[in-house]
Amino acid sequence: MGAKAKIMERTGKSFYERLYLIEIFKGMAVTLGHFMTNFLDNSKLYVRHYPEVQPEIPARWRGRHRLTKHEDGTMKCVACFMCQTNCPAKCIMIEAGERIDGRSEKMPVRFTIDLLECIYCGYCVEACPMDAIRMDTGIFAVTGADRQSFVMGLTALLATPGAYTEEEYKKGGV
Amino acid sequence: MSQLDLLLLVLRVAFGAFVPLCFIAVLVWMERRGAAFFQDRSGPNRAHIFGFRAGGLVQNLADAIKLITKEDIVPDHVKHKFYFVLAPVIVFSIAILSFAAVPFADALILGGKKYLMQTIPTDLGILWFLALAGFAVYGIILAGWSSHSKYGILGGLRAAAQVISYEIPMGFAIISALVVYGTVNLTEIAHYQGQLLFGFIPMWGVVVQPLGAIIFIVAAFAEANRTPFDLAEGESELVAGFHVEYSSMKFGMFFMGEYVAMFTSSAIIVTLYFGGYQIPWFSTEVLVNNARAITVLLMLLMPACAWIFIRWMHKNNRSHYDCPDDHRVREALIYAKIIWGVVAALEIVLFIYLITVSGGAADRILVALLQIATFLVKTTLMCFVYVWVRWTLPRFRYDQLQKLGWQILLPLSLLNIFVTSAVVVALN
Amino acid sequence: MFADGLFLVFAVLAVLGAVGLVLFRHPMNGAMSFVVTLIALAGLYALLSAKLIFALQLIVYAGAIMSLIVFIIMFLNIQPADLPQEETKLLSILGGGIVVLPIGWFLFKIVKSLPMHSVAIMGTDFGGVKEVGLVLFRDWLIPFEIVSILLLVSLVGAVILAGKRGTAK
Repeated sequence: MGAKAKIMERTGKSFYERLYLIEIFKGMAVTLGHFMTNFLDNSKLYVRHYPEVQPEIPARWRGRHRLTKHEDGTMKCVACFMCQTNCPAKCIMIEAGERIDGRSEKMPVRFTIDLLECIYCGYCVEACPMDAIRMDTGIFAVTGADRQSFVMGLTALLATPGAYTEEEYKKGGV
Repeated sequence: MSQLDLLLLVLRVAFGAFVPLCFIAVLVWMERRGAAFFQDRSGPNRAHIFGFRAGGLVQNLADAIKLITKEDIVPDHVKHKFYFVLAPVIVFSIAILSFAAVPFADALILGGKKYLMQTIPTDLGILWFLALAGFAVYGIILAGWSSHSKYGILGGLRAAAQVISYEIPMGFAIISALVVYGTVNLTEIAHYQGQLLFGFIPMWGVVVQPLGAIIFIVAAFAEANRTPFDLAEGESELVAGFHVEYSSMKFGMFFMGEYVAMFTSSAIIVTLYFGGYQIPWFSTEVLVNNARAITVLLMLLMPACAWIFIRWMHKNNRSHYDCPDDHRVREALIYAKIIWGVVAALEIVLFIYLITVSGGAADRILVALLQIATFLVKTTLMCFVYVWVRWTLPRFRYDQLQKLGWQILLPLSLLNIFVTSAVVVALN
Repeated sequence: MFADGLFLVFAVLAVLGAVGLVLFRHPMNGAMSFVVTLIALAGLYALLSAKLIFALQLIVYAGAIMSLIVFIIMFLNIQPADLPQEETKLLSILGGGIVVLPIGWFLFKIVKSLPMHSVAIMGTDFGGVKEVGLVLFRDWLIPFEIVSILLLVSLVGAVILAGKRGTAK
């Protein structure tokens, strides 16, 4: 390997540093400086006041899933089982049925995602040949009172709109 | 016993029992908000009762409710259940008891009688503290041992070895301080520190015993199992150390015991090295003789301090985001009204004192109250140093800790005894 | 009288602690009951208004020495299987009791022969730090120093003995 190794100089061995106390007081001065700035004016804190100020979610953020639709309102999903097969957490459960809107042959009659099992890896989005499943809802905090409420059904997945425009989403890149 | 004797007895015991307990809340709050400010965070500031957050103090109440209502588990594998339950009780009660010998004001002279302002009016002083500091080890050892788990026993071993070995430099530092003060009585020690060195420096222990003060403070940090010596509860290696098996209020007792111990050792440090209840440059007699002037000064200072505090509060107690009709601003307005009300009440009390009973016994009571306030302020500042150090210094490694105790602090404290004794003998 | 009541409490606790030290099977129980004895003794010293001895008893015996012993018991982590089988325990206690009986009787007689009138208090300064220090370092300086040298010798001896076993291994 031709990498140039940089030899770091060892510090902390001089008598002045081995007295410790002076260095300790220096360190304490640094922390006290932080304390005093924040104490005298707490608007200088590096914090987001969370529930009131929401974080900015970029388009590539993998949030809760949704199923997309064509312009005419029919669902894009063709129940090809790609996402279910690809899911490492095995949280997607699809039951296929005959398509009634005439777009193709198959459509899911049941499509459930168990959010408690989901690891939000995004493989389902990558696997989907129809761009039918996306994680662009921008929902990052999913709460519920019981386990059943975390199992998202077909209607709930279809009902959630995306948080970004098509251009933003495309630009974010998948 | 006259009624006055009885009243003072009750007041002293109440002070000794309740002030450490109240300081638990203050210290936990100081630790959490202080830690947050040291790290540029804001800390717990959301818990509230009807919108009153008291700067985050209400969070303590929530924590207390949580600890009390949690399930109290004694693990099945614990064989010696008696010791398991006894250990937190020992830690907590020893911490409270060791405050008992600390004077919080100069001896009060009322009706020709002298009342020592400490919970137990003993002249054992620092010996009482040392005696009880030794007992605190039992709580740690018993907790670690009776938990019957590896983490518990390792934490207990570390904590006990640390406390036992740091007791020695601490004792030696105290000895050299005692050589200077010539007494073990804490009231007399504080009295001694009311003098002036060369006529203008207050003769505090930290001035006449700088090395001893450093050794004592370091040993006191180790004794209280606080950072940088808190490797008894090194989270990364021991989970929580000796109290890992404890839950609910039994854990709460350890937690409160730790903060009471912190308060007590701060009080001892203040008494031994920072002048105790003494207001610098103003000894008790000076204060008593100039009580009227001091009252007038107080009456002027109080509104000024309140004004500054309220300005600070209005600046900081508001939401730092778009919030129409900010509830925090409303809260601050109410606090401001309360503070002005308290200041007005105190002004009236001081005014009545000034025109009716000033001169005589009331002066001494006023001075005692002032000294109590001074003592509490100094102790709070010392507790802040504890918090400050905790969020500045990283944890020692275990062998470094023992090396520091035995190879550095012990010889240094012995040397300090020799030098101090030589100087004291030479000066006499 | 309050002091008499306290005396009774401390005396009973001291005796009970000593009995516990002998009778308990687990060393931790024995050590803790001995701590109770030592604290009760400190209380008795306090009743005699020997303040310094009270503090020293608490610092040195109940605090330092016993915490070291308890620390070592914890360090060894003794399991019930490690304890020796004591089949003749009852017999030993009985035999020991019979052996000690004459001494106890002797002590009882001595206590009975003491004069019954109450003893005067030895002044308010009795037992304080200053008084004990003056007696110790003025009247009893040479015995004190000899005892301290004796302790130093035993300390050094202990260190050497412990060190030798370490190097032999």
